[in-house]
Amino acid sequence: MLKHILITDSTLRDGNHAVAHQLNAHQIAVYAEAADKAGVPIVEVGHGNGLGASSMQVGLSLVDDVTMLETARKHLSKSKLGIHVIPGFATIKRDLIRALDIGVDVVRVASHCTEADITQRHLGFVRERGKEAYGVLMMSHMASASVLVEEAQKMELYGAEGIIIMDSAGAYLPSDVEEKITALVNGLKVPVGFHAHNNLGMAIANSMTAIASGAKLLDATARGFGAGAGNAQIEVLIAVLERTGYITGIDFYGILDASDLAEKEVMPVVPTIKSESIVSGLSGVFSGFAKHVTRISKEYGVDQRDVYRELGKRKVVGGQEDIIIEVVMDLVKNRK
Amino acid sequence: MSDAIKHLITEDCKKSCNDISIFSELANQVILVTGGTGFMGKWIAEIVSFLNETENLNISLYLLARDTEKFKDEVPHLAAKQFIKLINQDVRNLHDLPEEVNHIIHAAGTPDNRDHVSQPLRTLETFYKGTNNVLDAATRLPALRKILHVSSHTVYGKNTDEAYIKETYLGTLEVNNVNHIYGESKIVAETLCSIFRNQFKLPITILRPFAFIGPYHDLEKPWAINNFIRDGILGGPIRILGNGSTIRSYLYASDMAVWVLKALVNGQVGDVYNLGSNVPISLNDLATKIQTSINPNIEILSKSSKENYSNVSRLVPETSKTIKALDVQETHTLDDAISRTIVWNQLNKK
Repeated sequence: MLKHILITDSTLRDGNHAVAHQLNAHQIAVYAEAADKAGVPIVEVGHGNGLGASSMQVGLSLVDDVTMLETARKHLSKSKLGIHVIPGFATIKRDLIRALDIGVDVVRVASHCTEADITQRHLGFVRERGKEAYGVLMMSHMASASVLVEEAQKMELYGAEGIIIMDSAGAYLPSDVEEKITALVNGLKVPVGFHAHNNLGMAIANSMTAIASGAKLLDATARGFGAGAGNAQIEVLIAVLERTGYITGIDFYGILDASDLAEKEVMPVVPTIKSESIVSGLSGVFSGFAKHVTRISKEYGVDQRDVYRELGKRKVVGGQEDIIIEVVMDLVKNRK
Repeated sequence: MSDAIKHLITEDCKKSCNDISIFSELANQVILVTGGTGFMGKWIAEIVSFLNETENLNISLYLLARDTEKFKDEVPHLAAKQFIKLINQDVRNLHDLPEEVNHIIHAAGTPDNRDHVSQPLRTLETFYKGTNNVLDAATRLPALRKILHVSSHTVYGKNTDEAYIKETYLGTLEVNNVNHIYGESKIVAETLCSIFRNQFKLPITILRPFAFIGPYHDLEKPWAINNFIRDGILGGPIRILGNGSTIRSYLYASDMAVWVLKALVNGQVGDVYNLGSNVPISLNDLATKIQTSINPNIEILSKSSKENYSNVSRLVPETSKTIKALDVQETHTLDDAISRTIVWNQLNKK
């Protein structure tokens, strides 16, 4: 029997990290339309850190949440409109209600991998409104398989219809993915998913290992457009899935066309695995830090690679962007 | 409360109270219910209200809970009854109970497993300290006749073998798993009951509830039947999360309350009784029933981590002991329970 894999295309959300959250309405419109035409099941849109995250701390969006979501909604007819929500950045009253009123279909409520407790109210609210709710555990390389299962079980109880673990730092090797996805599939009732980053060149291999281990949900982006070294490249992933007998409902030529369009219209530079991305992946640092690390390191004349190594030692997580300057200042001090 | 809702609740009470001569033993008695403003407390209040009005039993009810203001908002028609007195109190800090109390139904503590995993320490504290405080206060009640401790089916642990779970069944609980904190806490509470019954000769009977459905059951609670009905009322799809072959059973709300009150009269001190329906149904069949009841065009979706399951979770009580000893019966079928719950929720939304 052919196994169905549910694909979420995060180009217009994770890709926003790659351009310091400067995607404009035109880019959102053209890519959403192309993804819709290709039959992508879920198109995720928003600030890199999700709904309500535009801020000095993690970066200001060029366009606000309402504009992004209304634009995407207008250009999606078959595809579902998805958002990434981190409680704290996004509040129910200020952000979530408005997003659902605009017509968001799928809400993926995320927390750091050991803090699922903060997702209860948001997941519950989305289910109350009859929309699809998923739980997302970010920076999942920082927790053991058994801890991930416990945290994921909480999200399942809170109402999540599936749990996605993110390799936010691009730190996983296939053996890590196999261990964690297998444990989650055995420990949960709901489907399990995987969101890859490509710092060590493993995004496609890790995604395929995830489904071989029982995952049913995968994330990917056009040309891998995403934070740091980027994500699993959607057009490659679809090709490999088709070749290995999985079905996604996505038209292969359609997604090739969408990716070509994204390269031309959406991304200033196609993601590559830069030297500092490799160090970032090895150090287990959140890929969303890449732009900040590059900018601050350059400003103070320190080696980005040293910054990543120190950030990795301090086990910083998404939302702790202010630690980057602290680390850079320490490196400057020690240099003297 | 609209006339239509009032009529529905009265009809439920009437149907469940088809054999109530036994309740004459509760005439002029004072009953205190801890956790009294929850689903069970509201239904006990409805049944007592019905008995007082139709049989003139003059039963008084103390409802003790952490947030009695919420009760006044949710069920003002009950909060306004003269025979009901509200006590705003957390059982974890309770010292004394009103001296006039003759019967205690100890039902404090939420069965909502979202709270258990988010607040495991508070869960344990509520059942350990709360039960200890209630039983300790009960030792000083001069006119006490019976304590009904409302435990949980979770004390039985995992069950994949038994078609019907008897009161003597001993399953396993993973003590190292935070998801099992509720079952562990309920075992601690039952142990306290055993100690107080043995050492202080308190007249304690234990009930072990399974699953219920009916008006006042919050559709946002994380249980399959609640969520199926909510999804259906919202227009679907009805989402089956996990193994659709999972077997459960559901006792209707007004029957549940009558069974609890009958346990107060007929339950033997030191004995344990299952409280639930013995009519099994798979989640797949349950979803179909709800779909049929709301709108046959609603989609049903299944989402599961696995294609095949080696074990099927089965939670259906063996109730022959309960039915015989407490002299109770199920008066509402599952179809009836589902349709009345749907109607009540639809009326309540208006």
